[in-house]
Amino acid sequence: MDGTDDPVVLIVEDEPDVAGTYEIWLEEAYEVRVAADGDEGLRRLDDSVDVVLLDRKMPGLSGDELLERIRERGIDCRVAMVTAVDPDFEILEMGFDTYLSKPVDADQLTETVEALLARSEYDSLLREYYALVEKRAALEATKEDAALAENREYRRLTAEVEELRDRLSETIGGIADDEEFIAAIRGVDDGGGG
Amino acid sequence: MAGAADRGAYDLGGVLDVDRLRSVPSGTALLISGPAMTGKDGLLQSFLADGLSRSEAALAVTTSGTAEGFVDDIRERAEFEGRALSVVDCRAEGSRESQELEGGSHVHRVSDPADLTSIGVCITEALDRVDVGGYDRGRFGLTSLSTMLTYTDEKTVFKFCHVLASRLDGAGFVGLFTIDESAHDQQTLQVLKQNFDGQVQLREREGQREVRVRGLGGDPSPWRVL
Repeated sequence: MDGTDDPVVLIVEDEPDVAGTYEIWLEEAYEVRVAADGDEGLRRLDDSVDVVLLDRKMPGLSGDELLERIRERGIDCRVAMVTAVDPDFEILEMGFDTYLSKPVDADQLTETVEALLARSEYDSLLREYYALVEKRAALEATKEDAALAENREYRRLTAEVEELRDRLSETIGGIADDEEFIAAIRGVDDGGGG
Repeated sequence: MAGAADRGAYDLGGVLDVDRLRSVPSGTALLISGPAMTGKDGLLQSFLADGLSRSEAALAVTTSGTAEGFVDDIRERAEFEGRALSVVDCRAEGSRESQELEGGSHVHRVSDPADLTSIGVCITEALDRVDVGGYDRGRFGLTSLSTMLTYTDEKTVFKFCHVLASRLDGAGFVGLFTIDESAHDQQTLQVLKQNFDGQVQLREREGQREVRVRGLGGDPSPWRVL
């Protein structure tokens, strides 16, 4: 840990050359941790990890098993599976946020990490948005329209709700594609944290 | 929506002759609300059937009754090409499956209305079918949010609606969602309403069903007999 605010990416990959290459591509913008297998991946995992790049086939704890442990422990991170074959939506239902098909190039890798971070941002904005809407609704349910228009807190909440709604539609571009959609729904389905 | 190709507004006025329903922008999400037995489902089906008769696609998510029954109800209201209609049945027994019905409409089955990820996957598959079928516009209907609220909490349903509305906006659809107003407290209704651009409200007065439109610009329209 180098103590910066850079997002933390954990690479779990049993081929040292591959892991090293990913690390070189990512280390400028992110704090990178490398684990040589699933068991080490589990040890190097904590709440500060934002994105996990997970090789599927590894000796010991497999990628699928490690993912299960991550979700069991309730660690709020995005997981990309790195795979030799193109999987289907089932992968997303299993709890992976996305997948990368081998071989992976530098652009794909950085774009994927960025997209996953944007998705985290979306999930937390959506949580914040709900909390504000709930507060505003509580006022609406107890006060008359005329009193609301005069109410300073109500006006402030309304402005904040509008702002958050705009930020939500800007983050991940308003969920334009299938994969974003399923991942966002899965974020909701998981209970979405607090 | 700046930049996005405006695929044209939707004319929902064929079902309810209210001016502001004549030109509803794509991406709009409407809440059809009212107490039990005021005809919310029927109205939803009429909106979908009306779209189908205009060569738009229709996609429905249902939480009660059978998908076949839902398709039949729509067939009674309009003639249309079967493949233009897909239904996601959220209370099907057994594992997830997808099936083509006689007549070409498609049914996706999910066993649990709380399994939002599976519902999402089915919606995605249905949208893909619409796309492959050459339809670039359509109406989406979900009945009902009230049932979903009995299987999962308000926060989850709220966020699900938000994500879904974003996806429908991206697909250039209009969305219609029903809710039983008498089944929830004011707070819950008030929260869920925030996801919608407008509301079609139903009520019963002296044995007659009445309807009005709120939102979509302007004051609520006057109540009128449906």
